[in-house]
Amino acid sequence: MTASWKQILLILASCRHISTKTASPTPTPLVPEASLPAKKFELKDAIEPETIELHHHVNVTLECTWTGNQNKLPNLPGYWRKDGQERPDSHVTVELKNDQYNIKVVLIINSEESLGNYSCVFGDETEMTFVLTVPQIGEKRDKPIVSYLRDFVVMTCKMDNKHPEPSTWTWFKDNGTEKEQITVDVTPGHYEIINEKDEKTFKTKLKMRDLSDADSGVYYCGAVYPIGISMSRMELKVISFMEPVKPFLYILVEVVVLVAAVLFYERSQSKKSNTEENGSTADQRDTEPQGDAKEAEESNSVRQRKA
Amino acid sequence: MPPTPTDVLGNKPLDGGWGWMVVFGAHISIGFAYSTPKALSIFFKEIQEDLKASYSEIAWLSSIMLAVMYAGGPVSSVLVHRFGSRPVVMMGGLMCGVSMVTASFGSSIVYLYICTGIIGGWGLCFNLNASLTIISKYFLAKRPLANGLAMAGSPVFLCFLAPLNQFLLGQFGWRGSFLILGGMMLNCCVAGALMRPVTPSQKPPSGPQANGIQPNVGNTKKNGKCMRRTKQFVDLSFLKDRGFVIYLVGNVLYIFGAYSPIVFLSAYAVSQGVDEYSAAYLLSIMGFVDMFVRPGTGLLANSKWIRPRIQYLFSFAMVFNGTCHLLCPLMKSYPLLVAYSVFFGFSFGMVFALIFECLMDLMGNQHFPSAVGLVTIIECFPMLLGPPTAGLLVDVFHHYKYLFYMCGGVIIAGGVFLFVLNVYNYHMLEKENLEKTTEPNQNTLENQEQAETELTEPVAEEMINTAKHNPELRSSEETN
Repeated sequence: MTASWKQILLILASCRHISTKTASPTPTPLVPEASLPAKKFELKDAIEPETIELHHHVNVTLECTWTGNQNKLPNLPGYWRKDGQERPDSHVTVELKNDQYNIKVVLIINSEESLGNYSCVFGDETEMTFVLTVPQIGEKRDKPIVSYLRDFVVMTCKMDNKHPEPSTWTWFKDNGTEKEQITVDVTPGHYEIINEKDEKTFKTKLKMRDLSDADSGVYYCGAVYPIGISMSRMELKVISFMEPVKPFLYILVEVVVLVAAVLFYERSQSKKSNTEENGSTADQRDTEPQGDAKEAEESNSVRQRKA
Repeated sequence: MPPTPTDVLGNKPLDGGWGWMVVFGAHISIGFAYSTPKALSIFFKEIQEDLKASYSEIAWLSSIMLAVMYAGGPVSSVLVHRFGSRPVVMMGGLMCGVSMVTASFGSSIVYLYICTGIIGGWGLCFNLNASLTIISKYFLAKRPLANGLAMAGSPVFLCFLAPLNQFLLGQFGWRGSFLILGGMMLNCCVAGALMRPVTPSQKPPSGPQANGIQPNVGNTKKNGKCMRRTKQFVDLSFLKDRGFVIYLVGNVLYIFGAYSPIVFLSAYAVSQGVDEYSAAYLLSIMGFVDMFVRPGTGLLANSKWIRPRIQYLFSFAMVFNGTCHLLCPLMKSYPLLVAYSVFFGFSFGMVFALIFECLMDLMGNQHFPSAVGLVTIIECFPMLLGPPTAGLLVDVFHHYKYLFYMCGGVIIAGGVFLFVLNVYNYHMLEKENLEKTTEPNQNTLENQEQAETELTEPVAEEMINTAKHNPELRSSEETN
């Protein structure tokens, strides 16, 4: 179901861009088509993979150059890998020219299947990787978006304008087994998709009203390009408003208990000192000197201040 | 040399015992006061999306909260003066709790401004002001240490609230988080409950009527005088006090430059090529160092060599802070930025441990509550103007170094100003002392000697004030 939706979208999208395109996408043929635009990417002695973002159908030439190590053999076996698998018919013998080994391949990138990790391999040791991918949506949300029952939520995806504008945007909900596309007219009012663009970004917003527990789950926004769909994952959690109220009530009880405890302790302390004072005034023999001393102190201080 | 008043100062003010529980309460209270406006920034993105506000509209929330917290100082002073610290802090805690709970139901940004910003800010203001006041009532000899411990609440709570807020946000969303935070802020009421008023049994029944007022004795005879004095406390008569004006000017300069580096540190680090997580980590490092430096500085300031010249330590701390900022643009790699954060945290903690202690030292116990109200309302302006001015510098020059130069320069100017003028002030105080003691009024001297032998708290306060004028007395008092 979803695959066919995707294909229809891709075809519709690609129709707008390239008029000489054939009707249905085919697996990558080895003979390059002359009508597609061409791009070339090179890596020299690269250790890290190089990410290349493509959005429409192109002929891509990938070239790897390696300066070799101490043992500079005149000839090396070289081949290409796609997504870790060896590409058949890509084995060549690489000659040492100008103190360098060089290997290249031309690819037709015209479908999502043709994107992936392409690695050139020299001999048994050296491998350099090109990662061909759709433009990635920035701002990944690791944390779930939390919203409340019967409330609404707006989920946003942005593509900044350094990347090309998507042909269109789509939204998918993960229902456990597959990604199901969200269509706006099902359950009217529940879903609403708003696409916007401003000076810096291209945005899409999925607004859901009157949330229920069934709305919790994983959602994907997709930026549709001729070459494929770029997805970004986000999680929605719908909770009842009672959930935060429970910890709040626990804390409230704790505060009341502590305040009461502190005030009670204070009262019991002051009662103790009161009874001690009462006890001391009753027992004149022991406390008279002290009491006198206290009074003497106080009267002295009063005298001094007045003086 | 007059005899040391050790045995008599004894427990009045307490300088221990229940006083440490009061410090704990003040720690919580001040902790919430300073860390809440900063910790709220974690929710900004969510609130922005939910309420459809722009980034600057959201940022105003913190600013309003801080501004109200500082601007409400005089009102808080009057209330503390009238009712004592305990009811005011409990009221403050209640207001904060209510403000956050009502804010969680908000559907517009203006509603949040009013609930969290204004009502929450008022609550925090009551907390802050009253907590500082009660420390000055419970401590004298160990007051710098008590202040350092209480002010340490700010970094401790920030370290604790920041990850907690992240967790709450992920579990309950921003509304649920506000609800729970409201509940947590009710703990300020517990802090308030701990702030036992200094009971009349610990004070002599007849307090000094000369210029002081006993804020805890609700004596009906004094109500008429209270009203008059309330008016007196809100007025600007402090501006005639030399020490106060020096302190105020130095502080205004400091506050203008103090907060901007914190606001822009992460952005600066990112511009130097540091990744976002490590840049955020810099602020945590600063907070962590701050946490330990504040009580440490309090302990240092309490020592007998430093206490008489605590204003010099304060100016040194300011100059140190400013120098850190001036050197920051030279820190271009991550390890150097970490070193900067450590020194920044160190100097920031030193200044803030002393900032209110120095005011207490200058104004004394009785004038402190209203002095602090006046200081905070005046400091409101540099605090609000500082970060936007810094931001403007960044926008105009497209480089962060000018921000750091400006902040460092202003702070150093404040520190040097304080240092130089305190040299002058101490000199003038000594001169005034000499004039007083060379007067043919022998009674004054005798009274001073007698006063030392049998002191009570308010008189001890007068002693400290006079000690300012008599270095001999001061050093003898400090050997306790």
